[in-house]
Amino acid sequence: MRQWLLERFPIDYQKFIEINEKIFIKEPIPYHMKSWFFAMGATPLILFAFQVVTGILLTFYYVPSPDLAYESIRHITEDVRFGFLIRGIHRWGSNLMIVALFLHIVRVVFTRAYRAPRELNWIIGVLLLLTTLTFAFTGYSLLYNQLSYWATTVGTNLFKSLPLIGSTILNFLRGGEHVNPNTLTRFFMVHVGLLPPIMTLLVFLHILVLRLHGVAEIEGREGEGYYSFYPSHFYKIIIATLFLITTMSALSIIFPPGLGEPATPEETPLHIKPEWYFYPVYRWLKLVPLNVGIYTIIAGLIVLTFWPFIDELLRGKLPRIKLNYVFGILFVTITIVLTVWEAMVF
Amino acid sequence: MAEENVPKTSRRIFLANLVMGGGLVIGVGAFLRDIWQFLYPDIGRRQFTRFMVAKVKDIPIGKAQKLEIGRVPIHVVHLADGFKVYSGICTHLGCLVKWEENKNRFYCPCHKGIFAPDGKVLSGPPPRPLDEYKVTIENELVFIEVEKRKGRWS
Amino acid sequence: MNAQNDTLTAQKILIGIFSFLLVVTLIIVAGVEMKKTRVEKPEIEITGVTKQCISCHEKKGMAVGTTNQWKESVHAEQGIGCIECHEAQEGDWDAFKCPESDILVARHPTPKDCAECHEQQVQEFADSKHAHQFWLIKNTDRSVFEFPIVTRHGCEQCHQIGNLWPDNSVGECDACHAKHTFSKAIARQPETCGECHIGPDHPHIEIYLESKHGNIFKAKGKKWDMNYSTKNNQKIPIDAPVCTTCHMDGNETQPMTHNVSARLAWDSQAAWSYRTVWKQEKLGNWQTKRARLEAICKSCHAPDFVETYMLTADLNNLQYNELRRMFVYWTKKLTENGTIKRLEADGKFYSDPVLNGWDEEPEILMYHAWHHEGRRFRHGAEMMAADYTQWHGIWELQMDMNEMLTWAAEHGDKEAKEWVESTHPSKWVPFSLYDIPGNAWGINSMSNKLPFVYNNYPDYWDRISANVKTAFEKGLLSEKQWQLWMKRYENKEYYLGTKFNGDSVYAYYKALDDVDTKAFQEQVVGLKLPGEPFWQAKKKVYGNGAYSNGKK
Repeated sequence: MRQWLLERFPIDYQKFIEINEKIFIKEPIPYHMKSWFFAMGATPLILFAFQVVTGILLTFYYVPSPDLAYESIRHITEDVRFGFLIRGIHRWGSNLMIVALFLHIVRVVFTRAYRAPRELNWIIGVLLLLTTLTFAFTGYSLLYNQLSYWATTVGTNLFKSLPLIGSTILNFLRGGEHVNPNTLTRFFMVHVGLLPPIMTLLVFLHILVLRLHGVAEIEGREGEGYYSFYPSHFYKIIIATLFLITTMSALSIIFPPGLGEPATPEETPLHIKPEWYFYPVYRWLKLVPLNVGIYTIIAGLIVLTFWPFIDELLRGKLPRIKLNYVFGILFVTITIVLTVWEAMVF
Repeated sequence: MAEENVPKTSRRIFLANLVMGGGLVIGVGAFLRDIWQFLYPDIGRRQFTRFMVAKVKDIPIGKAQKLEIGRVPIHVVHLADGFKVYSGICTHLGCLVKWEENKNRFYCPCHKGIFAPDGKVLSGPPPRPLDEYKVTIENELVFIEVEKRKGRWS
Repeated sequence: MNAQNDTLTAQKILIGIFSFLLVVTLIIVAGVEMKKTRVEKPEIEITGVTKQCISCHEKKGMAVGTTNQWKESVHAEQGIGCIECHEAQEGDWDAFKCPESDILVARHPTPKDCAECHEQQVQEFADSKHAHQFWLIKNTDRSVFEFPIVTRHGCEQCHQIGNLWPDNSVGECDACHAKHTFSKAIARQPETCGECHIGPDHPHIEIYLESKHGNIFKAKGKKWDMNYSTKNNQKIPIDAPVCTTCHMDGNETQPMTHNVSARLAWDSQAAWSYRTVWKQEKLGNWQTKRARLEAICKSCHAPDFVETYMLTADLNNLQYNELRRMFVYWTKKLTENGTIKRLEADGKFYSDPVLNGWDEEPEILMYHAWHHEGRRFRHGAEMMAADYTQWHGIWELQMDMNEMLTWAAEHGDKEAKEWVESTHPSKWVPFSLYDIPGNAWGINSMSNKLPFVYNNYPDYWDRISANVKTAFEKGLLSEKQWQLWMKRYENKEYYLGTKFNGDSVYAYYKALDDVDTKAFQEQVVGLKLPGEPFWQAKKKVYGNGAYSNGKK
């Protein structure tokens, strides 16, 4: 049987086994990753895998048209068997993915795992974060209920304030000057067609760079030694996977995915809010004049992207301060304060 | 010592593998089952509802009336022994039959199929009588049993 | 090596445990999935003439609301369209030609049209007092007082439910089954009944909402699916009754009926409370009707509670008659001796001293004592609204009597003057009494030790039992009720609670009350404010001290 297959698919089986052994089975994992605290970097990847599976399942029923978008989601949630489960996992998966990314970033900052020579992987990571947020934003707009419709309108409007290219981007995103049926089809295409390969590529690069360097050791605890990926770490990932799917299923029962009111483009609801992960940005934009807000956010993104270099640069001048701690604490505090602030006001 | 330990340890490993493997098979299986149910259309539960097609007094014995339910043409025939309701689609190749009152028959123009008022094939190629609806009469109204269609998704 | 094996084993078992948890969660998910209620809005097929009507109406934007309502109805689901009800023959009283087609349309379908399919319901309705034209038959001409234009949107709107149509059918189905959904759920809403059964003359919706039944409805009713059927002796599916549950819906033993009079044992809306004889050859006597109602009550309540409750309500109805007797006696007497006069024109009277009079104080009081407070008193007692029995009921009735007698005394009536001048507490009971030892709620070991009539008339219960016995012998109470009454009478020390000793607990609370009394005495009773009032009588005598206006 194997012989028959190998004749028709002529690879060097022995070599294949070797490569597999080298790349996966024997991947050296530093000892500190025995602790669960350090071992959760794969969580966003696991969640992404679930998003892909449930996302594909949802496209079996979802209809990206203003007339049917909301109704088809109602159909999925209320009529289709286990529709609420699949949609619930997709929805909770997106939320948990953002939480997981946030935690992963915080862990990386506090352990300074981005330090040379791994700066590029940090930048890839930032791109992954932005891709995830774009995923979330476009996915939310597909709901086509009142809140998501107006979140899309307001969210896309922000690009208008960018200098020079603002309205071009806006028109491009919306497929017209105003939110229209093509906005929905665009967002759908971006969500299911464009972003998944980009995400996959970035994830691949992220892991590739990680593997080329090996997992970063903890500063000051170098030389702790390694153990192989299989079986111990592999089992950890399976446990994490099972835990996540169980949790998301349970959450789908306890907090089933809602539907809201169908979108009515003629009437803006009284209280509009984006999804909670955009609260910091939303609160910030409400606090300061729009232009200031947008430029500071861009500046913040630049700092975030190039943080490993900035850290290195400043470290030379301020050798006695643990800059990554300052940065990490600032990052966490600002995010949490703005989120909680926004959550408390109506 | 070592010899004693080996079977004990291997039994433990075997049990652990069993717990893990069995658990995974059942867990993943259960999840895949839900996915299958999600994907496979829910056609199990058919429900019927009655639908009024005519008033008894409107159709004298020996007469028929045609109407359309959705896009399906149907014929209500008042026979001496009660009402019959037929689908107007010929059982041969799906053309629409006509009621010919003067000849007291249904006629399919496509291949000259002829059906009697009780639905039976009189001549021509149709392989079986006209499809019939279940008829109930209540309060002098003629009802047929039709499948309850649930919203636009079915 | 061994340690590592142990960790691996632990991890494998952890995987097993998590798989197990996943399966458990998925089983719960499957449970939720099975219980999930799917909105099954059936696709409706619009066929034939109806299709023509609706497309044209929608195009013209004319009464589209009605067609949209129809689309929600069970009629729409079953292919019963516009023309099935709006069918007309040439010469029909309400026939008109649709201006856009040649279809002859009936402008107003009547119960006769509904009866084509819902014959039983229409017949039951026609046998009920909803269909009764009493407001035209019985009354003197009210339009002298409430002139016709007001009547259009006053009397006529509610009494449309018993409309007499040109085709001789009686009633208006959509008074409750709001057109064009004709929804059972809307018809069952207490507020539907409350469209008319509201206000000072018969505040039934208020009585209902005040009762425990109504309270539970308010708390939980939003979650109830009111679209259920009780046509085939199904169980009552809701946790507390709405109006229709007791008066119309069926249960395991009772058939559903559209005859709201089929379960009423009294005519207690009338000026006198009397045992109903409404259509008794068909519906049975009052006892049969009461048995129907009790069969519904007993779906939830113990028989003993139901029977005691209803007997007490019945005795209140009988007691009302004794009060009513007073008002009739006085308006009659005052009319006969010329103190008050009837409305009259060309030898025809337009007011009635025992039913309604519009301009003289005693007549108005008599009318209110029947039509307003008299009904509130009785219906509150029948439907668990204590406040209506008490404050909107007996309190107002006694005040009416007081005012009437005071008025008569002022107008020179000696008998009335004697009553007004009497200072004996028994003046408030110038009539015979009914009573029952205790109530349906429980035993109170103190409350029955206090009443004046209990303590000052040793023959109190002899008088009462004689009255109740007479009511029974006259057929106003059933044999079973009489026995229930006697059971309580023979054990009255038990039911009145007088055989129990609650003195020490009572004394404890009495002491607390003394503290309260002392508190208000100290805080406010003796309080004299320094700032003078802005108007004072020239000379005022108050209590023992005399003081004059201004400075001494």
